[in-house]
Amino acid sequence: MPEVNVKARREMELNNLRKDPALLVSVTAIWVLLALFILFPLFRMLSIVFVEEGRITLSEISAALLGRNQLKALVNSLTLAFLVGVFGTLLGFIFAFTAVRSNLPRFWVRLLDASIILPLISPPFTTAIAMIFSFGRRGLITYELLGLKNFNVYGMHSTLFAETITFFPIAYLTLKAILAGIDPNVEDMAFSLGSSRRRVFRTVTLPLSLPGLANAFLLLFAASLADFATPLILAGNRFPVLPTEAYLQITGLYDLKGGAVLSFVLLIPAVAVFLLQRYLVGRKYFVTITGKAGAESSIKSVSNLFRTVLVVFCILFSLLILYFYVLLFYASVVQAFGANHTFTLKHYRVVFTEGIKSIKDTLIIAGIGMLAGGLYGVVVGYLVGKKRFPTRNAMEIVSLLNYSLPGTIVGIAYLIAFNDPPIMITGTALVIIACYVMRYGATGIRTTVAILQQIDPSIEEASASLGAGSITTFRRITIPLILPALFSGLGVVFIRSMTAISATIFLVSIRWILITVRILEKMTELELGVASAFSILVVAIVVIVTTGISRALSLLRNPGAPRLASVLGG
Amino acid sequence: MSGIKKILLFLFLLSLPLCWLGAQAINVYSIWPENWARPMFEEFTKATGIKVNFIRFSSGEALTRVIAEKNNPRIDVLFGGPVETFSAGVKEGIFEPYKPKAFDELPARFKDPNGYWIGIADDPLVFMSNRAFLKENNLQPPASWNDLLHPAYKGMIQMADARTSGTAVTRIFSVLEVYGRDEEKTFEYLKKLRQNVQVYTKSGGGGTLPVGLGQAGAGIFFIVDALKTQQEGYDVAISFPKEGIGTAVEAIALIKGAKNPELGKKLIDWATSPEMQNLYAKYQINFIPAHPTVQVEPGLAAVLKGANIFPIDSDFAGEHRARIVDRWIKEVLP
Repeated sequence: MPEVNVKARREMELNNLRKDPALLVSVTAIWVLLALFILFPLFRMLSIVFVEEGRITLSEISAALLGRNQLKALVNSLTLAFLVGVFGTLLGFIFAFTAVRSNLPRFWVRLLDASIILPLISPPFTTAIAMIFSFGRRGLITYELLGLKNFNVYGMHSTLFAETITFFPIAYLTLKAILAGIDPNVEDMAFSLGSSRRRVFRTVTLPLSLPGLANAFLLLFAASLADFATPLILAGNRFPVLPTEAYLQITGLYDLKGGAVLSFVLLIPAVAVFLLQRYLVGRKYFVTITGKAGAESSIKSVSNLFRTVLVVFCILFSLLILYFYVLLFYASVVQAFGANHTFTLKHYRVVFTEGIKSIKDTLIIAGIGMLAGGLYGVVVGYLVGKKRFPTRNAMEIVSLLNYSLPGTIVGIAYLIAFNDPPIMITGTALVIIACYVMRYGATGIRTTVAILQQIDPSIEEASASLGAGSITTFRRITIPLILPALFSGLGVVFIRSMTAISATIFLVSIRWILITVRILEKMTELELGVASAFSILVVAIVVIVTTGISRALSLLRNPGAPRLASVLGG
Repeated sequence: MSGIKKILLFLFLLSLPLCWLGAQAINVYSIWPENWARPMFEEFTKATGIKVNFIRFSSGEALTRVIAEKNNPRIDVLFGGPVETFSAGVKEGIFEPYKPKAFDELPARFKDPNGYWIGIADDPLVFMSNRAFLKENNLQPPASWNDLLHPAYKGMIQMADARTSGTAVTRIFSVLEVYGRDEEKTFEYLKKLRQNVQVYTKSGGGGTLPVGLGQAGAGIFFIVDALKTQQEGYDVAISFPKEGIGTAVEAIALIKGAKNPELGKKLIDWATSPEMQNLYAKYQINFIPAHPTVQVEPGLAAVLKGANIFPIDSDFAGEHRARIVDRWIKEVLP
């Protein structure tokens, strides 16, 4: 009798809220935030699109959808996002698996970490432009090195390549936390029962990473769907994608409505993939952190040969990524790249004089955004991943909306919503921070949810049965377990705050200016040297901060609890 | 930085705008690159004591912002940028008409008849080509629109996308004028030219660096962007087609509902007068001054010597822009 079950579940969920004041407070607080910073701006935007002279109209939608190449753009976007999701997740998994399971010396793991993070931490144009230098008609690699004269750098292949290397670090960060959380003893048991390595991988490791893989795919799919900057530079004119079309519609043809409609169309596939992911993963039971395991064992899940292959692959790929950044660095210390290669520091002088305000502003905003966003991600992730309360599903979907929409539309929605009473916060740092938190906190949410799916509820039940209240249990048990998610969330929000542009171009103001906006500006002014110098600075700052985060993580590691150590990972 | 210092710095920066309230200041979005806008505004502050707080956006982004902020404007003046951006703004009702002293002194094409915008400079299009590319293919710098159809240019030309760039719109209307406003012939030419185009870039100057680096062989750009490329040290040739090429006005406008309209008007007075336009030469800003009494800098005049440049009729362009761009998107772009 399913109806009775549904009713009983509802009753139970409501009871949870009544019994647990902490839950009630946090659910209410999160809903207030979601309503204010996601639903309200979207509602303002929707009312502009669909309400004409006080009446609701659908003519805009049909005009935008049936007109021109929009259908083709939609198909292109979906294909691209799917492929970026597949390749990015695969690449992220290979790197995470190598980092966690191949017993690399710590130094190499750190090096791998650093180079993987590079594509994520530089503004998208810089990677795209380095690619044009390298693979264009007279590119350093295609022409100078390989002698290809007519290689076409514009199109789906380059966009796919650039987006995959830009976004796969998200998969890496998500999956590393998951893989590190799989108890090696589980694999050991399979070995001792006589399984081959391949079989263990297929029947133990892979299934246990499934929530992580699905989450990584979802994140990459959505990130690619919303990305407009890479296609803008690399897609050329024969591979239109929706976010770029929407951007062109708005800033080029001054057609806000048409652009908004195109952006909202993107929500449908994003939500569909999300629901599919929940359907596929949600019904399986993933528990490896049981609190009942024995001593830690040596890891032997990969053979020496396979390990070598993995390590070599990862190092080669990291070298390719590093090459782009060497190129960028080189451009920042010569007079004019391609014309005059005399050494100079003048571009850095511009950065530290004219650019110093943007550096300060960016650091303040990214610093606050990181703390707020990391916390937001873990709290929402914990609520939707662990607690049972009414509106839980709605909360999970709403929290993903801003991440799945193209930045352009989120930026304009914020600008429209917060420029007039009742909430006038455009021009402040708050509006930029809010935008970052609600948009990039999603990564922390997804990682938390994935980690929680691995944790046996009996650990928390044990704590409760020993008399601890829900707050104590949360503080003493759950927080340490989801700490890696918190830190990966912190890292991602910080990184994105340092590098994002599509939404914030509409939110920066005379009072608060960001480095990325300066980089875009220097690019359009042809000052490649200064743009590169700014990018190198961003890279340096992010490397320092993310290194600091992983240091903090290892300091927090509790030496007396080997189980926890394996959760927190290497 | 320690946590406390960070908080103090944060509070300090938050309080900065309060300090500004004391001095006379105006807020401006500049479409001109910061390199050029900054010295102009500094000179303005020197001359009048009014501080200019500004931020730079591309023309499309600046206009989108001003429209979105319509109910509660954040700026007083929109500075620089091609006239077609301003025409679009007039339709959105975001400007306040104002006729500065220079209004009567300027030729008709440098002003909106009702004073919604007024010209501060003139910016002609040019052909820019990479000298190494020309040498490799035994070519002279292109001197006719038909020169660009030469097979050596196949896949080697970059120019702006008409969906985002005023440069591209001016270019298409130039070809229309060259063909005596015969649309069929114009589109026949544009489709032939398409065969040689590597990519249409988002911004008007987006192709200058690729041409400078030899990733592309040639392109059609505004003269300011082309000369800037040359000044950076790239070996490029600048040439004009003998059939003629168009030029676009750069403008300035007062925002409707501006918080400091009187100070904004002072900036417009200054920017439209010889006072500002005499400074272009000093700061290597390669625009042609709009005001008839201002001399063109000798280096720029030498480049322009003998060039066949014609103005784009803004009424005609305004009337047909949407339709022509739409046709371009449908027939030429794919």
